[in-house]
Order: sequence, then C-alpha cells, then structure tokens
Amino acid sequence: MKQELLLIQGTLPDMGLQSKAAQLALKGHLTLRVISGANLEAATADDGAIAKALIPQAQNARVILAPATTRLRAILPMLAWYLQAGLTADCTHLDISPDGTLLQTRPAFGNSLIATIETVSGIQMATVRPGTFPVSEGAEQIPVETLQEKPAQRVKLLEFVPLADSVPLGEAKIIVAGGAGIGSSAGFLKLADFAGRIGGVVGASRNAVDAGYVPYSAQVGMTGITVCPKLYIAVGISGAVQHLAGMSGSTTVIAINSDPKAPIFQYADYGIVGDWESIIDQLMEELS
Amino acid sequence: MIKRILVCVKLVPTATSVEMDGQFRLKRDGTSLQLNIADVSALEAALRLKAATPDAEVVVLSMGPAKTSQTLQELYALGADRVILLSDPALAGADSFATAKALVAAIRCLGDFDCLLCGRRAIDAETGQIPGQLAAALGIPAVTNVQQLTARDNGFLCQRRLENGTAQLEIAAPCLLSVCEYTYPLRLPGIMGKRRARDKQVEVLTAVAVGLSAEECGLRGSKTKVIRVDTRAPGLRKCRYCETDVLAEKIREVQL
Ligand SMILES: Cc1cc2nc3c(=O)[nH]c(=O)nc-3n(C[C@H](O)[C@H](O)[C@H](O)COP(=O)(O)OP(=O)(O)OC[C@H]3O[C@@H](n4cnc5c(N)ncnc54)[C@H](O)[C@@H]3O)c2cc1C
Repeated sequence: MKQELLLIQGTLPDMGLQSKAAQLALKGHLTLRVISGANLEAATADDGAIAKALIPQAQNARVILAPATTRLRAILPMLAWYLQAGLTADCTHLDISPDGTLLQTRPAFGNSLIATIETVSGIQMATVRPGTFPVSEGAEQIPVETLQEKPAQRVKLLEFVPLADSVPLGEAKIIVAGGAGIGSSAGFLKLADFAGRIGGVVGASRNAVDAGYVPYSAQVGMTGITVCPKLYIAVGISGAVQHLAGMSGSTTVIAINSDPKAPIFQYADYGIVGDWESIIDQLMEELS
Repeated sequence: MIKRILVCVKLVPTATSVEMDGQFRLKRDGTSLQLNIADVSALEAALRLKAATPDAEVVVLSMGPAKTSQTLQELYALGADRVILLSDPALAGADSFATAKALVAAIRCLGDFDCLLCGRRAIDAETGQIPGQLAAALGIPAVTNVQQLTARDNGFLCQRRLENGTAQLEIAAPCLLSVCEYTYPLRLPGIMGKRRARDKQVEVLTAVAVGLSAEECGLRGSKTKVIRVDTRAPGLRKCRYCETDVLAEKIREVQL
C-alpha cells in the first residue's frame, strides 16, 4: 500500500507548502517525506536527469507535491510521465480526504474559472503556486533528505546571471507595479527608487513592457509572472483582466490612477485618484 | 546540420471568458481562435533556424477541432513546409497527460527531428506541462522557458529565464525547447509565401491513424478529472479612497 506524501523542494524551498504538506499528511493518514538539496535546482542543469533520479524516491508515494517554480514545473511533468501519474499545475488550494484522495484546486482562463480536480491514477501529483500557504510553526523541524543524482551530459550550464534585483518578483513582500500611465523609462527609474526605499521590487503591466519602459521579466499577469505579495501598489495601471490574473492573490492592493473610472479601483483595497508622480513624491516625503 | 524542426502549436480562444459544457469540457465552437502567444515565439524561432540552415524543414503540429485547419493553413504562407492537424472528436476533454500521449503518437509518425519547439504554456489552461511530458515520453533532453536560442554544432545554445536569474545552456540535439511569450515576434507573410501556400493543404490525422486506442484518448485517457468548476469575479474588493497619509501608514505596517 502506497502511503507516503512526498514533498519535493528546490533551492528556494516553500516553507508554507511544507506546513500545508504536514497538515495534509496527517489528515490523509500518510507519512510525510521531504526531499531537497542544492542539487535540485543549482548544480545539474538537466531537468530530465533530476526527474529520473526522483523515480525511485516515488516508489511509495500516494501524493507528490512541489512548489511551482520554473524548474520544478519542468521536472514534475517529466516525473509524472515516468510514473504514468496525473499531475495538476499551479494549485492554489489543496485538501485531502481521510482515505488519501487529494482535491486540487486551481484557477484557469486568467482566473475567470476555478477548477477542482481529482486524480484517477494511483499516484496523485500537483505543483503549488509558491507562497500560497502560510508558514506554520514546526515546518522548519521536518527532516529533509537530500536527493542524490548523477551529473548529466545532455544539458550543460555555461553561465548563470543572477537578476539585478536581489529579491525575485515572485518572492517580494512589496511590489510597486507601473503601467502605461508611468509614461517613460525615466518614470520607471523614479518608481524603482520609491520601491527600493520601501523595500519593494518593481513590477509592470504589459503595456509598460511593450512600450519598452521595463524588461519583460517585470511583467505581471496572464502572460507574465503571477505574484501574491503582502502589498501590491498598482501605479498608472488600468486593471485589465489579464493583469488582474497575475496579482489578484495579493493580500492588500493599493491603486494610484488619474482616472477615477479605472477598473483597477474595483480590485483595490485602497485608492488615490490623481497624477502618480505627485502622489509618489508626497508618499516619499511622508515616509522619510 | 539541422534537417527538421518540429513545432507544436495550439489555437486558443481569443475571448477572455469561456464556457464549459456539462462535462467540464471547453466549448470551443463559436469562439474565435488565435495562435497561442508563446507558440508564436516557438514558430518564429523555428522559421529563423530554418532561414539559417538552407535545407532545413519546418513541420508544424497542432491538435484541435477540424475547423482550426483554416487558420493553420495560413502558416504555409509564413514558410512552414508541412502543417499537420491531429483532430478527432475522441480527443476532446484530454488532460495534459492524454494530450501529451496523443502528440507523441503523432510525432512518432513524422520521423526524426533535430529540435521540437513549443510555447512554454497555453493561455487557456495554463498548465505548461506538455513540454516536460513530451520530452520524457520521447526520451530527449529539454530546456523550458527559453528566451533566446541559436543552433550550434550538434545542438543549441539557449537562454533560460528562471526566478532568480538567467541561465546560458547548451543542449544536445535532438531536444525539446519551450519558448517564452514575446521572445520573437511573428513575421508577416510575403507575396511569395502566399503564392506558395495557395495549393497547400493542412494534413489531417485521426487518432486511429496515429495508432491511438479509444482508451488512450480524451477524457477516458486522462489521469485527472475536473469534478467542479466555479466561476468568480477575480479579486473584487471594496476600495477605500484616501490620502497619502493612510497609504504611508499601510506601507509601514507591511514593512514591519
Ligand atoms: C492574451 C493577452 C494576454 C495579456 N497578458 C497580459 C499580462 O500578462 N499582463 C498585463 O499587464 N497585461 C496583459 N495583457 C494586456 C492587457 O489586456 C492590457 O492591455 C494591459 O494590462 C494594460 O496595461 P496598462 O494598464 O499599463 O495600460 P492602460 O490600459 O493604457 O492603462 C494606463 C492607465 O494609466 C492611467 N494613467 C495615465 N496617466 C496617468 C498619470 N499621470 N497618473 C496616474 N495614472 C495615469 C490611465 O488612467 C490608465 O488607467 C494581455 C492581453 C491579452 C489579449
């Protein structure tokens, strides 16, 4: 009888998911196992080799979970294929029945639908949107095994260039996102200065990216990155559904827009109507 | 030398809201369709590789309803050498596992290739799982989230975007690469291309033709099952209009 809940962590472990995994294991009468290691995300560039190394680890697994980071979102589908198991992507809610049936919930179609999914294969697999679950006490105490894998030849890492931002957008507690309303690259420099002062990271709408104010790596939304920071400040962003898809999970949303009818206000907890530059100037003054 | 590049593309609804039928399958009739945004990059990447290698061939593979062949036919004008549509009512409702299985069956019918290009994910279901599943099934190495790629020796050089930085990677052929949105903007068809496309037909394959049994197809062949779908207005909140002092207070709170 397969009775393990296997959690696979990468170099950026999701402790909230580790807490959730512990709760699910208890409720579903499963034994929790956590596998991790620097190897998993750093040393070996070949996702296929990591997936293969995970096969024997999955022998007793009833449930396999992993945070939906870029690499684990490539590795888990490979592992799922090797195990001939069902896999659900980027879940935002998980539950389990006492007999170990996993209920996986995920948004689709730019968040306009929320689907709840069950797996019909013996092993139930899911990746989980990073930062979805709160960290509870004791998560750090769970023992973590290190995956041993052989170096692979088929994919070679030549160079790794870390992002200039010390905090990746997906992990930032505060995001200051600018839209087309910022009007220029110079405007974004000002926004970045503000973000830096309050300990935040700069994000952007697609129109700001298309206009060339910021690189694509800053894009939040359906075709960019999905974020759920504690505070999301949307500056000069109208609030298109494709943008909302990437940020509606934020704890608190502040909207700054000159148009009182901008849809973004309907999706914000706090709003100021006015020119962004003077509002940011005033905010910097109050915070200094 | 690159001989054949395969590109998997999907046509997705242009509308931002969608309807489902009683079995939680997408209603794909009646909505207008467009090439998935990331797949646009994959296709353009393939056409550029072809331009750099005189004898290379670009083969486009798609899976979907029969009516998509109209839109797919236009890809001949851009320079695709073959456009193949795997289409069968039996394939409806496939999850990513069953979809990968069907695509692999079709790919095996197409012969050897040097590179299989896909978009990193489709904007409708957004699972992004097909590339990994295809690579595992075909036994080839893969790099996902590629933002730049060029051919080199017996493989490819590519740049992969990760959360914490960018990796420069070298991968051996044959391989799979999944490409990010907006990596390469799609070219426009030229007059020559349009002329060449005129008498070309999309090749349509059925599930049986690629050797799939009924048990392997669609909902029956899927490993996951949607048991409930809720529609919701995403993230509607009650906005409190205020001055900067309230915002400053809120920001300080979060900083703690
Ligand atoms: C398939 C698809 C995928 C997409 N994916 C994404 C995605 O991932 N992310 C994304 O963001 N978009 C995406 N979009 C685009 C989306 O539909 C919108 O076009 C985009 O989000 C709009 O960006 P914006 O709000 O910056 O620009 P606009 O809609 O032009 O809004 C600019 C706002 O700035 C305000 N403004 C102007 N001047 C000032 C000022 N001085 N002070 C304050 N406010 C000012 C205006 O009132 C306006 O509300 C996608 C679209 C499609 C079709």
